[in-house]
Amino acid sequence: MPGSNRDKLTRRTLLGASVALASPIACLSARGAYAQAPAKTPTKVLDFLTYADVAKAEQEGAFVFYCHENEAGTAAIAEAFGKDFPKIKTSYVRAQTGALYNKISTERAAGRFDVDILQLSDLAPALDFQKKGGYEIYHSPEAGGYKPEHLSNPAGAFFWTGVTFGGLAYSTAKVKAEEAPKSWKDLLDPKWRNAMSCKISSSGLQFVQWYELRKLYGDEYWQAFAKQRPRGFDSRVQLFDRLAKGDDKVCALAEYAAYVLYKEKGAAIEFVAPEDGLPATPLLVGVVDKAPHPEVAKLFVDWAMSNRGQAFYQSNPHLIYGSLRTDAPPMPTGKRLSDFKLLTPTDYADYLGSRDKFTKDWNGMLGL
Amino acid sequence: MQAPALRWQVPSGQAIAGFGVAGAAGILVLYPIFYLMQAALDVGDPDARPPTAYGLGNFEALPQYSEIMLNTLTVSLAATVMALLFGFVTAWILSRTNVPGRRTLEQLMAVPYYMTPLLGAFAWSLLGAPESGFVNQVWRALGGENALINLVTPFGIAWVMALFEGSVAFVMIGAVMKSMDPALEEASQVIGASRLRTMLRVTLPLVAPGVLGAAILVFAEMLGSFSAALVLGNPDRFYVVTTAMYQLVSQYPPRIPLAAAMGVSLFAVMFLMLFLYRRLIAGRSYVTISGKAFRPRVMDVGRLRWLLFAVCVFYVLLSVALPLMTLAFASVQKIAVAFPAASNWTLANYQTAFTMNAVRAALGNSLLLGVATASIGVVLMGLISWLIYRSRLPGSGFIEYLVMFPQAVPRLVFAFGMMWAWIVFPIPIYGTLWLLLIAYLTVFLPLGVRTISGVMLQIDKSLEECAQMCGAPWGYRIRTVTMPLLCPGLLAAWLLLFIASVRELGASILLMGPNAKVVTPTIVESWFATSAELTAAMALIQTLVIAIAMVVFLALTRRASMYAGE
Repeated sequence: MPGSNRDKLTRRTLLGASVALASPIACLSARGAYAQAPAKTPTKVLDFLTYADVAKAEQEGAFVFYCHENEAGTAAIAEAFGKDFPKIKTSYVRAQTGALYNKISTERAAGRFDVDILQLSDLAPALDFQKKGGYEIYHSPEAGGYKPEHLSNPAGAFFWTGVTFGGLAYSTAKVKAEEAPKSWKDLLDPKWRNAMSCKISSSGLQFVQWYELRKLYGDEYWQAFAKQRPRGFDSRVQLFDRLAKGDDKVCALAEYAAYVLYKEKGAAIEFVAPEDGLPATPLLVGVVDKAPHPEVAKLFVDWAMSNRGQAFYQSNPHLIYGSLRTDAPPMPTGKRLSDFKLLTPTDYADYLGSRDKFTKDWNGMLGL
Repeated sequence: MQAPALRWQVPSGQAIAGFGVAGAAGILVLYPIFYLMQAALDVGDPDARPPTAYGLGNFEALPQYSEIMLNTLTVSLAATVMALLFGFVTAWILSRTNVPGRRTLEQLMAVPYYMTPLLGAFAWSLLGAPESGFVNQVWRALGGENALINLVTPFGIAWVMALFEGSVAFVMIGAVMKSMDPALEEASQVIGASRLRTMLRVTLPLVAPGVLGAAILVFAEMLGSFSAALVLGNPDRFYVVTTAMYQLVSQYPPRIPLAAAMGVSLFAVMFLMLFLYRRLIAGRSYVTISGKAFRPRVMDVGRLRWLLFAVCVFYVLLSVALPLMTLAFASVQKIAVAFPAASNWTLANYQTAFTMNAVRAALGNSLLLGVATASIGVVLMGLISWLIYRSRLPGSGFIEYLVMFPQAVPRLVFAFGMMWAWIVFPIPIYGTLWLLLIAYLTVFLPLGVRTISGVMLQIDKSLEECAQMCGAPWGYRIRTVTMPLLCPGLLAAWLLLFIASVRELGASILLMGPNAKVVTPTIVESWFATSAELTAAMALIQTLVIAIAMVVFLALTRRASMYAGE
């Protein structure tokens, strides 16, 4: 249980491990305790530290990235890494977290290991993948910049490369500010019937919203929400595209990142942060076991964990992930993650155990 | 002395080629079907492959999804009726009346086939969405209230599918009408029947078998269609079997066996339709073959011809011009609206589309695959056609059924079977362009074989027999007699296969790898996760590339035939 004393102790230990790994001297002293940690000294590449052999990585020459993010965002991550390491040819597959996880699972079940890095937006499949030994354990020298709860448990499988969170949004062309929903419960007002959008069940953030609001308001909330006949979509871009054009009046799960993107385009929309909090889901990055380009994969993790990678993740208009680095600068909007009250699951066993119910209920609500 | 040796070699070469081709077709078709059936019957541990237990549990769960099944049948039926109406009316106008510009209109009627239904669905969603649709924005600007049209509905799906399948119905019904003796219609008019009455009482019954054949083929296509339902159905909470299947395999945890069972049930309906179609086509051939010669003549419809001309132009406008103009208009805006402000105009979507490596690579891959599928396909499918209709090898009738099998399976369903089949194949082709090539060669077997065999049947068998009597071995006969005569048909088949490959979606969407992307699924991905405006730009680029490729191909073949003529 994440909240138990035993767990807290583990986290402290892991934090110690991360800090120790950040320092070459401490790393050597901690070698006995953390047998999996690389024994060698990290090297500085550009402005970050890595245990990867950069020459060997460049010799491997290719990087295969499986990512949940939208097409433009995924392409941008691959290209940014490729720009820093031009001798490494990047390629990617983009799909929603559920579809992506199914794809990699099917491939691995058939003995195909073509992926270097897996990025997911849902803890459930990431933990399942970890349980099945899908991640290569790699302790990055950049891990010291993160709190232990933002690393996998045990550390080394994956880390939280950022957080995406959602509130409410409305079309200012269709809804006056005083009539706009201010809280999650305002979504149950009959005036939003057939005028609201949300995401489909393959979305990790949608699962978090369902889980967290169910904890706050009970099952009755979602039963009442279902009567509003919301429309479900694959990505945050589709939600905001419809909102910007007035096809929906309200978006019931409006990701802040997409709000920033569409606001910049000049869309007539407004974001609302309900007082009870904003559901948030981590974006999880890890080296895949039996990666075809292992040194490249490690190099990517270090790059993504570093201030350099985090600055990119945080500022690219197609991403705008809130960074969890302890020394992260504010987002391009001037806001930090700490400015928002975020709702993230803490009882992972309960969270993972409720996935089937969520999928069944959510599909049923959306007419599937 | 040589004659006996020749007699011994001829059947041997023929048999080896025949069995080789039949074996290849069998592997292409049956290997994925086996895996599809295996998944549909999998009731064991969802994480284990091969299945740990088999049963009918997935099929027993299907009644829970009866609404989706009903949706699929309803929308397919509606689309078929509309497509037949479009196809019949335009075929009658262009083959039986003296409408002006017939030849040009006939060529234009085929253009919707070259465009993807996906492109049409995007365009019509931009035009006909109840709030943001351009038509409705204009309507409201003119003082209208609410929405004039709403195409984000089951009707919208049927409308878009009918517009694009209408050209298929046109080709099929038009062919029947052209082979009909006009003396029958003239006789009707001589005894005093009006033109309408003649059309209803004489023309329609005569072409009924052809229309029914087209109806069944179009209905089967509709059952398996994916893109229009995805774009116009999902926003209205309306699922058909293909979109539901896609959703079921994309979610976490996935419900792959249930999706496979859904696909197999759809396949059963389609197979029944195909069986009926083949029965009707077989019956029709006996009716239309006649020893009596006639010259196709057209009716003089007087001033009515201008109205009929307008009907055809209107169809081309709705299915080609309007969608393309809509996408062009949307693609140069930041947020697509009917009345854009000056600050809303942008060329950034094209800039993004051209600079995205994935798009450039996808376009290149699509063209490469189009050329490879068409070139290999013409040889393979030509040999299969020859095997079925010209050879006397045992089992050629079975091969005909075998190669028509993919027609009865929606491509998305087939793709699941192919994914599971080729992922465990010892040679690592999964995730590469090779797998897509195999997939295309498989799913387009019916298209290629049907096109080539149509031409092959027009060539008198006695020409080949004559060469055989002169002592020419099998290979020599094929090369010097059959192939030159088949050349125009093979070129047409090449072009059809090329276009079908470049615009393919259903099979590609599941089989693409990180280094093996193709353009149509990339456009769908863009629609899912980028923006409608960028998607419009990408769809237009795809159409332009196909158009350029077609022009180049036609120019090359024209030049080649000119040289051949010299």
